[in-house]
Amino acid sequence: MLRVLRLAWLTSVRQPGRTSIGVLGVVAVGALLFDMLLLSRGLVLSFRDLLDRAGFDVRVLATDAAPFTGPRIVEADAVAAAIAALPQVEAVVPVSIREADIVSETAASQPPGRVQFIAADPQARPMWTLVDGRDLSAGAGANPPLVVNRTVADRLSLSPGSTLTLRGACGPDGSVLPPVAFAIVGVAGFPFDDAAAQTVAGRLSDIGRLCEGGMELGVDMLLVRSNQREGAGRAAAAIQALLPPLHVVTNEELVERFSRVQFSYFRQISFVLATVTLFFGFLLITVLLTASVNQRLGEIAALRAVGLSRTRVVAGVLCESVMMVGAGAILAVPVGLVLSVWLDDILRALPGIPSDVHFFVFEGRTLVAYTWLLGAASVGAALYPMRIVATLPIAATLRREVVG
Amino acid sequence: MRRTRIWALVAMALSAAVALTAASAAQPIEAGEAPGVLVSRQLMESRALGIGDLVRLSADPTGGRSRTFRILGAYEPTPDPMRFAQPALEARLHLPDLLALSGNPSDPSASDTVSSINVALVNPADADAFARDVSTRLPGTVARPTSAPDDRAGTFLVIERFHLAIASVTMLGSAVFLLALMMMLVDERSDVVGTLRLIGFTRRRILMQVLAEGTCIAAVGTAFGIGFALIMQGAFNRFFQWRYDTALVFLRITPGVVAQSILLALPLGIAASAIASWTLLRRHPLALVRR
Repeated sequence: MLRVLRLAWLTSVRQPGRTSIGVLGVVAVGALLFDMLLLSRGLVLSFRDLLDRAGFDVRVLATDAAPFTGPRIVEADAVAAAIAALPQVEAVVPVSIREADIVSETAASQPPGRVQFIAADPQARPMWTLVDGRDLSAGAGANPPLVVNRTVADRLSLSPGSTLTLRGACGPDGSVLPPVAFAIVGVAGFPFDDAAAQTVAGRLSDIGRLCEGGMELGVDMLLVRSNQREGAGRAAAAIQALLPPLHVVTNEELVERFSRVQFSYFRQISFVLATVTLFFGFLLITVLLTASVNQRLGEIAALRAVGLSRTRVVAGVLCESVMMVGAGAILAVPVGLVLSVWLDDILRALPGIPSDVHFFVFEGRTLVAYTWLLGAASVGAALYPMRIVATLPIAATLRREVVG
Repeated sequence: MRRTRIWALVAMALSAAVALTAASAAQPIEAGEAPGVLVSRQLMESRALGIGDLVRLSADPTGGRSRTFRILGAYEPTPDPMRFAQPALEARLHLPDLLALSGNPSDPSASDTVSSINVALVNPADADAFARDVSTRLPGTVARPTSAPDDRAGTFLVIERFHLAIASVTMLGSAVFLLALMMMLVDERSDVVGTLRLIGFTRRRILMQVLAEGTCIAAVGTAFGIGFALIMQGAFNRFFQWRYDTALVFLRITPGVVAQSILLALPLGIAASAIASWTLLRRHPLALVRR
């Protein structure tokens, strides 16, 4: 085996130009293939990570409509209490999202800046990450407390201790509601914010001050953390059995639904490009090896004539292919990673994409799939040149070489 | 100056907000003077509906306050690239019917409420000024010209940039492949080139011949590539239209794309020929004929 490897190595280094071009071609092809594999599941992995990071693994909605687009859960307090009493459930947090206009900065000729107001239980573990100041649970004195994201804080020059006046954009039929002054207690990062998102968070009890009806209109969602022993699946089943009209979905199911519908474009495009890329690589190696073998027919015939077995010569061609693809594949991984950062930056500029979401995400199985695919391509590409070598007529080839 | 027109027909997504029941459902439907409704082809197929069928629509997820409509026809929804992955389960109702269906009965103003108003200006160039004027005179409303950039335009600009980046990497791989092919093509004929040099052909003349050959190969390859892409265009579109059940065109090879391909492929082919032949012509003629 070592002799075969040595023969393949010597053949490769004897033609440095061709070998370099072959390896360079595999690097280009391999980098693109690697990136397409990263893209095929990147968005799903990133989205799952985002959901899991919030610390809740089951979501309860009124219907199967997309979160925050369908009807709300009414009598949320009673529903939350019933769910919290289940042994499979560790915690329940009602969440509502409303829109509000920033009053303080509004000029007459310009539409007011609009923020997304997340209302949640201040005593529960927050779904945002505090970067400055305190959380809602600390209270704020006379005015209700508010946590703002960095975009709002920077745009309006706000910091803990400032006041922000909002007017709910949730009145019936677009009626103008009275403004409410909030005390800024902290600045936080919200996991689902995109680069331009203006998000604030307040207490669930304060939603009534901002919007008519408030809690009586219901909450958008109940976030549930399952008991670790039972798991999300069992908790979801127990909630569904307890409250059949509600729509209960685990993070896994949500990710699966999104990957099937919303994210399918990138999966399809990555499949098409990965297939084309792999075929391209296969073709490149086949052509290079075939040409290399065709040019060395006399030499191969001479080696056979002096006693090298057919298996050894054929194995040499296979090793040559594997070495060329292997070298290219190893070099392609860092190139692919750098390329993926560039492509990821391009795609993350899509409007509405949360800042923490990535399209290209590395996982161990990507490397395994990459190795298998290129390994298969290297073997497949070597088949035709191996056949040429295996069926080579020794005497006729030597005669042709001498006469030529 | 201004002529305001509220569109009589409103497209409404029914997949989540409106419960739809076919005439064959358990609860009987009274025909009476059922108003007409148009149903998207996808909804017709998914619920096995037919023209003339009576359906009940409701804005309430529980099916409460439903009204009976007669299906007058099916339509192919305007393909929306932003929602192509979602099934177009929708229907078109007359505006008064929709307001009666979705409005709050306890709110008298509900029957006079619409989510948006499309305005056709006598002079479309006044769109920006008109939008500013409306925003000033009617606080709380948002007026914007239809030509204003929005998230949709941004999305497609980003997708275009991504595809351009992928195409650039593919071009790089293709260039390497092409270079390898041309080097082998030239290398296989090193004997001939060596002999030509020995009998007096100048490097320049041989180089020109190789370039001419490279140009021909590049031209044929480009033509084949464009032809292949044109054939694949139909297959690609048909596959994705079947996959997403949409009339959206995913891939369109325009004259601009063809021109771009020619402008990239031909010079690349010629450059590859030049580089490959130059590496050969640098060598001594005797080395080329292996003597």
